[in-house]
Amino acid sequence: MQNHRTFGPRGLVFLAVLLAAAALVPASSLLTPAGSALHLSTYAVTLVGKYLCYALLALSLDLVWGYCGILCLGQGAFFALGGYAMGMYLMRQIGARGSYANPDLPDFMVFLNYHSLPWTWWGFSSFPYAVLMALAVPGALALVFGYFAFRSRVTGVYLSIITQALTYALLLAFFRNEMGFGGNNGLTDFKDILGHDVRSDGTRAALFATSCVALALGYVVAAAVTGSKFGQVTVAIRDAESRVRFLGYRVEHYKTLVFTLSAMMAGMAGALYVPQVGIINPGEFAPANSIEAVIWVAVGGRGTLVGAALGAVLVNWGKTYFTGAFPEYWLFLLGGLFVLVTLFLPQGILGLVDRLTARRRPGPPAERPVAPEEQVLPRPVAE
Amino acid sequence: MPRTAIVAALLALLCAAAAPAHAAPVDDALAHFTADKFPETDRGIDELVASGAPTAPAVLGALGDGRLLFDPGSHRVYYAEASGALDDAATGARADGVAQGALKKVRLNNGIRSKLAAALGGLDLLSPDRAKRLAAADTAFHTPDPKSLAAIDAALGRETDPAAKAALLQARAAVVATSGAGPEADRLGAIATLTARGDGDALNYVNQAAAAPDASPAVKNAASAAASSIRFTLSLWQALQNAWYGLSLGSVLLLAAIGLAITFGVMGVINMAHGEMVMIGAYTTYLLQDLVAAHAPAWSEASLPIAVPAAFLVAGAIGVGIERTVIRFLYGRPLETLLATWGVSLILQQAVRTAFGPDNRPVSAPRFMAGSFHLGGLEITAGRMWIVVFTLAVFAALQVVLRATPFGLRMRAVTQNRRMASAMGISTGRIDALAFGLGSGIAGIAGVALSQIDNVSPNLGQSYIIDSFMVVVFGGVGNLWGTLVAALGLGIADKFLEPFAGAVLAKIAILVFIVLFIQKRPRGLFALKGRAVEA
Amino acid sequence: MTDPVLTSSLLYLDDVRVSFDGYKALRGLSLVLAPNEMRAIIGPNGAGKTTMMDVITGKTRPDEGTVFFGGSVDLTKRDEAEIAELGIGRKFQKPTVFENHSVDTNVALALKAPRGAFATLFGRAARDAREKVDGILRRIRLWDHRARRAGDLSHGQKQWLEIGMLLAQDPKLLLVDEPVAGMTDSETATTAELLREIARDHAVVVVEHDMAFVRDLGVKVTVLHEGAVLAEGPLDRVSADPRVVEVYLGR
Repeated sequence: MQNHRTFGPRGLVFLAVLLAAAALVPASSLLTPAGSALHLSTYAVTLVGKYLCYALLALSLDLVWGYCGILCLGQGAFFALGGYAMGMYLMRQIGARGSYANPDLPDFMVFLNYHSLPWTWWGFSSFPYAVLMALAVPGALALVFGYFAFRSRVTGVYLSIITQALTYALLLAFFRNEMGFGGNNGLTDFKDILGHDVRSDGTRAALFATSCVALALGYVVAAAVTGSKFGQVTVAIRDAESRVRFLGYRVEHYKTLVFTLSAMMAGMAGALYVPQVGIINPGEFAPANSIEAVIWVAVGGRGTLVGAALGAVLVNWGKTYFTGAFPEYWLFLLGGLFVLVTLFLPQGILGLVDRLTARRRPGPPAERPVAPEEQVLPRPVAE
Repeated sequence: MPRTAIVAALLALLCAAAAPAHAAPVDDALAHFTADKFPETDRGIDELVASGAPTAPAVLGALGDGRLLFDPGSHRVYYAEASGALDDAATGARADGVAQGALKKVRLNNGIRSKLAAALGGLDLLSPDRAKRLAAADTAFHTPDPKSLAAIDAALGRETDPAAKAALLQARAAVVATSGAGPEADRLGAIATLTARGDGDALNYVNQAAAAPDASPAVKNAASAAASSIRFTLSLWQALQNAWYGLSLGSVLLLAAIGLAITFGVMGVINMAHGEMVMIGAYTTYLLQDLVAAHAPAWSEASLPIAVPAAFLVAGAIGVGIERTVIRFLYGRPLETLLATWGVSLILQQAVRTAFGPDNRPVSAPRFMAGSFHLGGLEITAGRMWIVVFTLAVFAALQVVLRATPFGLRMRAVTQNRRMASAMGISTGRIDALAFGLGSGIAGIAGVALSQIDNVSPNLGQSYIIDSFMVVVFGGVGNLWGTLVAALGLGIADKFLEPFAGAVLAKIAILVFIVLFIQKRPRGLFALKGRAVEA
Repeated sequence: MTDPVLTSSLLYLDDVRVSFDGYKALRGLSLVLAPNEMRAIIGPNGAGKTTMMDVITGKTRPDEGTVFFGGSVDLTKRDEAEIAELGIGRKFQKPTVFENHSVDTNVALALKAPRGAFATLFGRAARDAREKVDGILRRIRLWDHRARRAGDLSHGQKQWLEIGMLLAQDPKLLLVDEPVAGMTDSETATTAELLREIARDHAVVVVEHDMAFVRDLGVKVTVLHEGAVLAEGPLDRVSADPRVVEVYLGR
């Protein structure tokens, strides 16, 4: 029963790959000469670093969707909020080097005739404070939003739709100049992070390594949560919510907690993403982004954690390739992926792998109590 | 007493105007033109207008064009017609046998030209064409000029049509209020007239009357009372105007959401490609319009009405196709349906982008949808009005289909109890496909209407999908009347918030409101209650 | 509510009324259950059996009427989780178990233990939890299937698992909705035996259509009809009542 096998063999491989990448990729980028076969360009490092941030976002989504049946269509909002927190820190680091050379106000505020820093920006010249906010703001939003939604038993599609409305409302709000977050243009032209040039090869390599470690940490936390009795309850909620309630569990508390945790992970992913891509703007709140993150998880295999991360990297790698080589066809491919995965691969790639390996195994599976062909696993209970 | 003086003057003018047979004033007026001096010409214009001669418009028009001629010898005045023939200026009769070579042109300078323009306006006030008189009175109201007072008074004396008379009185009031001159009673009368009119221009004139340097305390009091009364009237009209805008926005929301109310509300299918059905309807309209323009230009006015069934069929057929190939494998799995249909929406968008390019396609409006009209203080554009009417018609038609046709009956049976319906011999698969086609077809029809007010581009549908879901969820899933109330209610709320908060904040406020509302009533405004819906 | 003990009965329903959009599901239902009593409830479809269970477990709020548990607790003011914590367990008509969890995890999740989110996230299982789960698994005859995925069990086994989960909850009162629907005869007999065993130290309310099964239980019977009690007493007497025969048995 409560066998706390927190990381399966797959998880251990995943962690090992991440930690190895954290060490080897920066080494290859910084220590080998440009022409060498072992050399990775800074462009490639940054690109993969970006994928890792998406992987952390996918992981956070899998935690709520795969393990608790909450299909959040606003996960991108938490990601973007974390990104804005980091972006604000980076803006404050520009100091007097902006076009208007104002030591206290970012360029866009000078342009919009601000006389002093709005209170929302206080403290963001401190890196620890910005990191704290990248966790706390998405977390607080998820806590409040989740508490009310789950207490009122908004479930299934209704929840999906209102989370989509949430990110849409934030999109509209951040487009407004009056919000004080750079409006349409967002935050960009970053210079330094912790005293190092954001664009330098060394900083890029360090950001990559940090992303690896953050993803590994995220995985460890997610695996620990889903492996605990708490995780068993959330899966039970996913499969038969009212049964859990009649057993005396406060479903809304469980959902709120896992939702908040997931939002904080997404916020962290956004905070790591922004220094690597060099910009954060309201477009990150677009509902389409959040839905795209859902397909990463679906492709990799929901309810598998590792699969979610894998799916994010694969789909985004495909996107980079196709939008470069056949820009016309990318949306056909992405759209087709949504359709085909839901129709034919409901458990994603890892689910398929599990099914194939289970077939090859001789005799009835003793350890795995799951009859593979019947495992229509995460069929979320809609209402 | 000033008032009796006016009446006397009017009576005098009336008599003058009523006796056109008495030719002397015309001849006297025309005589001034033969003096060949600008001040004389000026007086001649005044007198000619005051004479009310039937030939006056023709004479003044000829003067402006340099076609007014006089014989220095006989002091007769003639005007040349466009054909070159000469007419006698006093009688308008053809003046054959007059040698054109002997005639001199009445000369013009800029002073005369501007005088002439005002005089022609004054003449329109006397025109036998009622519409022309009304238009002239309206112009006089909007460009009040003390010099036109005489012409207005002259026209008032002759006017018998009540509407034209009211318009003239308003024009006169505008002149009196803005001139800053005239007796007190006259000004008070003008203020009363303007108050009755009660629009923004009236407010402006009343304020000018109050600000006149020699305005008496009585005039000032009356003007300020009038101003506040007009402001109140204006705010009432403004509220009505907002309600109209809200109704118009609400009908657009309803139009976009109504198909979703079928697919989501009745069938429980989360169709994220719903917006693309709207988009396809709009593109069908565009294609059809091009087709009609190329092959049957005579029918181009009708291309929009023809597009309605065409868009229904195209979008409906695509909807049936999607249902048969994707959605039917996903019944009972709403979240998966959501993802798969999102994929379908991406494919449809890209397909349209590949076929038609990413930029906006022009769809022109038929004549009956162009222009606008006033209803009291309301300004209503014809296009918006037709969209409201059209939306309500679609809604009514849908109600009829669902309630009064065998298909509607079967569809309701399937949604209420699939197994029982199946047992009774209803082909549930066929009903599912047709119902989804119906919802999609209605989305296509929405696209026809939205092509008139939105850009026809591959992204058209995207902008409606979230709003549509909000409307259906807010109204209560499975309840078409709820969708109606929700769409119109949200539209009106949005337009009433806009003046205070701006468009974006209003929209955010509405979204936040719906999110909060769903917390309170997770099943919308008009939720079905009971055990069945919870199972 | 203010009076500490209003009644010595375990469950006390008086004049409970529920309506859905005008449809009156319960019209003045009254029912009294003594501690450790076992009661069978019968009645035709639409008699209000499931709605009654919904009211007792907090899923549905009655429009009118009083519902007391343990003499002093007003159930109409509590939600499902609170009522479950008070000691009322419920088995659904359609067997509802956590299909993706193993059989023993299903029982372990139901086991009496701190239910808070933080408690399950950071807490450790009680030392005797394993023994308790094993004991229940043996009692519900699923010991041999303990490692299987619950979704792979047969229909009857799922029913037993759900009863096992109720036992693990260790409630004062069990509400069991049609426990033998769709069962084979031997499964039915086993289930009746299981329920009688449970009734030794728990109060049980069984809703059932199967007359043979109700006879097997050999307990007091309440007949519901159109949202109210039509008759109450031993099955023999109840089944002789002409009104009962007319609405239910005679059909």
